[in-house]
Amino acid sequence: MALLNSEDWYDIARDTNWTPRYVSEQALFPKELSDVLEMPLELLETFDEPYKVTYRDYVKTQREKDVGAYSVKAALARSQMYENASPGWKALLQMHFGAVSFLEYHSVSAFARMTRFGRAPGMRNMATFGSLDEMRHAQVHLYFAYEYLAKSRTFDWAQKAPRTDNWVIISERHTFDDLEHTRDAISAAIMTNFAFETAFTNLQFIALSADAANCGDFSFSTMLQSIQSDEARHAQIGEPLLKMMIDSGRKAEAQKLIDISFWRCWKQFSALSGTCMDYYTPLDKREGSFKEFMNEWILDQFVAKLEDMGMEKPWYWDLLLEDIEVFHHAQQLGIYLYRPTEWWHPIAGTNPAERAWLEEKYPGWNDTFGQVWDVIIENIRAGRLDSTIPKTLPMLCNMHGLELTGVPGRKWNLKDHTLDYQGRRYHFQSVVDKWIFEQEPERYAGHLSLIDRVAQGIVAPDGVMEHMNMAPEEYGIEGTNYAWVEAYDDALTTRRATGT
Amino acid sequence: MSNFPVVCGFEGDYGFKVLMVDRSSTMDDVCAVAADLLAGVVVRPVAPTERLRVRLPDATEPLPPTLTVAEAGFIELETIEIYREPRVLAAVRNDA
Repeated sequence: MALLNSEDWYDIARDTNWTPRYVSEQALFPKELSDVLEMPLELLETFDEPYKVTYRDYVKTQREKDVGAYSVKAALARSQMYENASPGWKALLQMHFGAVSFLEYHSVSAFARMTRFGRAPGMRNMATFGSLDEMRHAQVHLYFAYEYLAKSRTFDWAQKAPRTDNWVIISERHTFDDLEHTRDAISAAIMTNFAFETAFTNLQFIALSADAANCGDFSFSTMLQSIQSDEARHAQIGEPLLKMMIDSGRKAEAQKLIDISFWRCWKQFSALSGTCMDYYTPLDKREGSFKEFMNEWILDQFVAKLEDMGMEKPWYWDLLLEDIEVFHHAQQLGIYLYRPTEWWHPIAGTNPAERAWLEEKYPGWNDTFGQVWDVIIENIRAGRLDSTIPKTLPMLCNMHGLELTGVPGRKWNLKDHTLDYQGRRYHFQSVVDKWIFEQEPERYAGHLSLIDRVAQGIVAPDGVMEHMNMAPEEYGIEGTNYAWVEAYDDALTTRRATGT
Repeated sequence: MSNFPVVCGFEGDYGFKVLMVDRSSTMDDVCAVAADLLAGVVVRPVAPTERLRVRLPDATEPLPPTLTVAEAGFIELETIEIYREPRVLAAVRNDA
């Protein structure tokens, strides 16, 4: 029997809207869950996804992707890749699987919510595939992490992380609950599919995939590529919706959603990917700096996409460009210093050769971030290892949830942007983080960071690790056993010998 | 145990830290806590020729060294800056 071409039946097959008779349209699609801006149904029904796929083709393609990823994994199972990997690459894998696996799993329900409450049939169709995508991503993450479990208990955090109040996990949850899980279907799609997936997943999945291949970690590289091919498809849910918002006079609302989401995602990816690319990836395996990748893959492409859609760059663009130079360097310092509070084993990534690279890529690094590293290096060389871990808690931002940082050293610039709201003082790293809070204070006001919990007496200062559900054997330890500092001794010996 | 948290930006540090002090702590006490926990850990040690001072963000003048946290009207998680001042200058101020 001859099959119809998919273009002959696709549109009618996914036209699944109907007129409800037993409940009202409003009860079926409450605006708080469907579309707070109440775009006309006739407009939403014109949703036309740029990338069309049938279920039959979807399953066939996904099966091939899974076969590819799992086959590479199986083939390399005895390759000793992990055992032979650098401490930095091990740290990167440990951090990635703990930080990302549960986000993939949570995204299943985010897409499912779009499927249930989206009023555009085409959107529901695409979101269904999105949910299936995210199930696959969660499964492949958990499977790969499980395989690593025999090599390091840190990979247990792929399963454990979402059930903890670890400060890194709280920060991620705060961000992605805001964008994906606590908005109406349209807003969540603009924030997740357009601002997050279109702009940022390239960073984690393409750049990291290239670095993984360079490091000989072909199974991780293949896994990331496999995931990114899904992201590129379901990210397209956002574009038709954005166009509808513009066409129906809701451009300002769309712009605000993008501005909020882009900044929130930037902070997460800067801390996660920025530290991995500029500190954890071995120097000779790096494709480029985090800043270079941001400029080429994120800023240029995202701006082009925004302009193509008739949107503006976020209002804080100049602040973003400044932040790209500094934020992840400050976070790397904090991650290294507070390593017992993390499930992975951080490395410094600042031996003399790595510092020269950082100074070349980020002129002024030695006069700023390098000044704090000098103190750390001095302590390690003098055997004062206790002094390389602060005995006081860091302040956390009440928006991004990570350390409230600035620029250290000779160009010291550390600002706390505070806001008093309903009898409580909130602390923000930047005017952008504060601005996001001010757009909808009731959304954010109840949240307590780990520091707020200590300040309010909910958690005792000496009970923080227990509160984060971290047993002593899970505390992060120095990934190199401080071996990186030996290069400074060698450099000093050379300088003394040559009189330079 | 001290139980009044202040948010401390120590000159030269990469990020704010939370210091636990008392309402009765003077600004010099706060500096001593900061020096004990942060100098030689994230910023270089305090030299004998320097003394630490407390100021509010964007202020040009330090708070008096004997002023207490309560007298300063700090709320919990008040943000302060701690910076180094040459003792010579402190002597001119007559509070070295």
